[in-house]
Amino acid sequence: MSDLSFKPISLAADVEERSRPSLSYWQDAWIRLRANKRAFASLFVIIGMLVFACAGPLVWHIDPDAQDLDQTSKPPWGDRNALVQSYEPWAGVTSAEPQGNNLSPESLEVVGDATTTFVRLVWDPVPNSNGYRIYRQIVEPRVGDPLGLPIGDTKGATSVSFEDRLDIKPKSYWYSVVAVNEQGEEFPEAATLKVDVAFSTTIANAVERGYIEDENSVAIGDTIKVPLHPLGTDYLGRDMLSRLMEGARISLFIGIVAPFLFVIAGVIYGSFAGFIGGNFDHVLMRFADFVIALPFLLFMILFKLLFGIGPGESGILPMLVALVVLSWPGAARLVRGEILQIREEGYVEASRLLGTKTPRLILRHMIPNTMGVVLVTFTFAVPSAIFTEAFLSFIGMGVTAPTASWGSMCNDGIKTMETTPHELIFPALFISITVLAFNFLGDGLRDALDARMRYGE
Amino acid sequence: MADAIQGTTAPVNVSSAWQLTKYGLIGLLFFILLLAALGWITSNSAASTRSSQAVDFATNTVTLALSTEPPQLDSTRATDMVSGMLLGHTMEGLLRYGPNNELIPGMAESWDIHENGGTFHLRQDALWSNGSPVTAHDFVFAWKTALDPDTGSQYAFILFPIKNARGISEGEMDPETLGTKAIDDFTLEVELEQPTAYFLKLLAFPTYYPINESFYLSTDGGYGSEAENLIYNGPFKIVKWVHDASLRLEKNEVYWNRDATKLDAIDYAYILSDANATLNLFATNKIALAGLNSENLERALKNRWRIKQHNDGSVFFLEINHRPDRITANYNLRRALQLVHNPSELVYKVLKLPGNLPGESIFPVWLNGVDGLFRDEYPGPKYIVNEEKAREHLAMALEELGVDELPPLVLLAGDNPVSNKQSEYYQRLWKEKLGIEVKIDKQIFKLRLEKMTTGEFDIVAAGWGPDYHDVMTFGDLFASWNLNNRGRYANEEVDRHVAIAQSSSDPVERMEAMDRVQQLLHDDVAILIQYERGSVYVSDDRVKGVTRRAVGLDPDYTRAYIARDSEG
Repeated sequence: MSDLSFKPISLAADVEERSRPSLSYWQDAWIRLRANKRAFASLFVIIGMLVFACAGPLVWHIDPDAQDLDQTSKPPWGDRNALVQSYEPWAGVTSAEPQGNNLSPESLEVVGDATTTFVRLVWDPVPNSNGYRIYRQIVEPRVGDPLGLPIGDTKGATSVSFEDRLDIKPKSYWYSVVAVNEQGEEFPEAATLKVDVAFSTTIANAVERGYIEDENSVAIGDTIKVPLHPLGTDYLGRDMLSRLMEGARISLFIGIVAPFLFVIAGVIYGSFAGFIGGNFDHVLMRFADFVIALPFLLFMILFKLLFGIGPGESGILPMLVALVVLSWPGAARLVRGEILQIREEGYVEASRLLGTKTPRLILRHMIPNTMGVVLVTFTFAVPSAIFTEAFLSFIGMGVTAPTASWGSMCNDGIKTMETTPHELIFPALFISITVLAFNFLGDGLRDALDARMRYGE
Repeated sequence: MADAIQGTTAPVNVSSAWQLTKYGLIGLLFFILLLAALGWITSNSAASTRSSQAVDFATNTVTLALSTEPPQLDSTRATDMVSGMLLGHTMEGLLRYGPNNELIPGMAESWDIHENGGTFHLRQDALWSNGSPVTAHDFVFAWKTALDPDTGSQYAFILFPIKNARGISEGEMDPETLGTKAIDDFTLEVELEQPTAYFLKLLAFPTYYPINESFYLSTDGGYGSEAENLIYNGPFKIVKWVHDASLRLEKNEVYWNRDATKLDAIDYAYILSDANATLNLFATNKIALAGLNSENLERALKNRWRIKQHNDGSVFFLEINHRPDRITANYNLRRALQLVHNPSELVYKVLKLPGNLPGESIFPVWLNGVDGLFRDEYPGPKYIVNEEKAREHLAMALEELGVDELPPLVLLAGDNPVSNKQSEYYQRLWKEKLGIEVKIDKQIFKLRLEKMTTGEFDIVAAGWGPDYHDVMTFGDLFASWNLNNRGRYANEEVDRHVAIAQSSSDPVERMEAMDRVQQLLHDDVAILIQYERGSVYVSDDRVKGVTRRAVGLDPDYTRAYIARDSEG
């Protein structure tokens, strides 16, 4: 063992120094929020949704209420090339008295173009018949199968034409014509024809909707491009995208404004109750319990009456009021609990001894320390408010026609769920994504704002 | 933690987006699996419960669904279609409708009819289901009951052709003065107020059905409320009525024409208003008949079911409020609405339901005229869209009303998918073409009727089904005295022509008067005709002999039978 072993350490400055920038509570929370991938992505989704609702209409100019009845329930991938047609009433075709002994209406054929504006059929007459019944099917009828949908009858053996205008879609149809006797019984033989229908619009409609400049810029038989509906159209030919934007404004307005108001109300109520305490607190909290027990739907209807909201007027305002009036106790309870705890903290005591007045005490020391809880309450209240709005609009208590909201769009879409699912899927998807995003964000905020999880402490 | 702090830039966002997508995909996968599982369960359970079938060969029973519960089955007070249908199966008037929609003898074996009345000879073998004979007194009692102001029958007016009936119903005359009396047990004499060409056609209507007086009195005011509180003289009797759940009819073994009834029972095992649920019952072979709507039509087509079409005889229209304090009392405003009215667009592009016909006249196409069909003989005016003229009329209306902009019009409508669709269509149509704001007042049937009666609407979507097979069932609808004229439309000339058609026995004169009425209603824009309702439905092929009618009992199973085909 040498002397070297016992050399005193120098006081030189080569000691490793560990330090970090001083982080405030909020900076730290922000860093931890950013670290939470799920919550952070949700934040972007929410911002995206807000931009979609507010700035969307600036980019996407289609009127959400405009009905294009030539393009109802059109899926997003629907054909945009429309054949230009003009609709003139058709007198039909009357044949000569039938000859021979054929039993089925032979030589069934289409007159002119088969388009979504109309499909015109003619056939050869059948002797001894008293008229014809026309069927339309969307799948090929096999031998012995029913012929599909009876779309019309003609009277008399010589009236051998039929014009179909009933909700024709640009796809293939199988038209069948069968002769009927005097008793209305069908002959056994039928003539069937497959018809491929082209998407079309009338000149008048094209001018009115602004697809073309004026009547003379196109001729019948030309093809024009109709405006894009990226998410398709609904059952009245309204653009789904612009309706979803309109719906987003309603949903997010209710979803953000209502919680904002009732959380503020809850904070004020709860901090008073918690700070003053005693019997005052007791009375206030029992009142809060009472409010929790009030039925929401009933109050919503009462407010509707109270505000004189007549039939056919929007129920959004009473909904907002009912939400605010009935939902604050949750936030109030939480804040009161926090305040009761903070009130006993040493720094509050110190501040009080230094002569701080009560209002400043509450504003400076109490409320800022409850902010975490409040913010988390708020983010969790948003999805439930959005859901409430969607539910109420779904059952017809919220927005009224023609205004769209996600809930009312779901209600419209659910009826055609089997045939045109896009009318239900899109609004449902928007509700789900938004609600999910707010929940994830709330989760993330709760973790980020929890003081016990602060970095380095 | 430290790692997380350093990695707070873009890559994290991308991967978090990935994480979200992953969650989404897992959720979606789970959802699809769940759907598949549920579908598998339902298809299995459907197969396993096939025993309670739509058509039961062993018990000779057909199972059906009712769309709503009948409020009660007292024939003097019945107003709705379900009640009418059930009463038609269980009761019989002097006359009834045969398989080809012709009037055939019912309780009356024969009759002598003359200008001012008639004598009906009742069959002596007709019995009530409790064994007592059906007599002429039962008819007199039923009619007097229906006319009694205390009964509050909404259909009392249909008895008005009988002498003094109107006065009795208004409480101004003694019920004993009613122009009908039982000469003996089996002879009924009827005296009319004035010659009524269509009187015989009225006799098959439920309000004209007989009621057994002693039984009626024994129920102590509860007649018609329960199966036990009813006796029947028709082909079937109600054996079980579980309110809001089911209703079962069985063959009436003492009915005079019991041999014509082939079914042993009709089981209305479900009372359901939801069209999709009803169709599911049909798909799983639980009921023998189900209506289709534009939403579930495609399903029926893909399943290759046999689809049938039926015109139910009713006409739907927008009734305009003509009360003087309403802006719709202004002719030019109404004319503007008429000039943008396009029934074929509504029928083909909005309602999309096959069977509906674009409406042109208050008289539907199936009504008989002088020799052939009324509308073939008197086609009536047509709606012609002319937006330019519409705007001119609107400008005139604004000037006359002294306003720059119209207050919103209140469109009173039903609260169901079909109504909502057309309400929204009209709301947009009038806004786009005329700049008129519309508020849609959605109400359930009862409340709508209340508002129609008090006049709280500008325009109301209404409909009218025929009660008997004569133009008059639609013709007097807009006479100023008719309580079903909810818009209080009053036009002396219409009244005059209705009166002519009511009292004349010359068919040509009657039909010409009715033609004037349809012309006047059009010219004055009393109403806007929308469509004649038809329906498409699917039915079990094994049930034969079912009659569908526009007027009278529909669907009629009184002569239906089950065919034992190879499938069965």
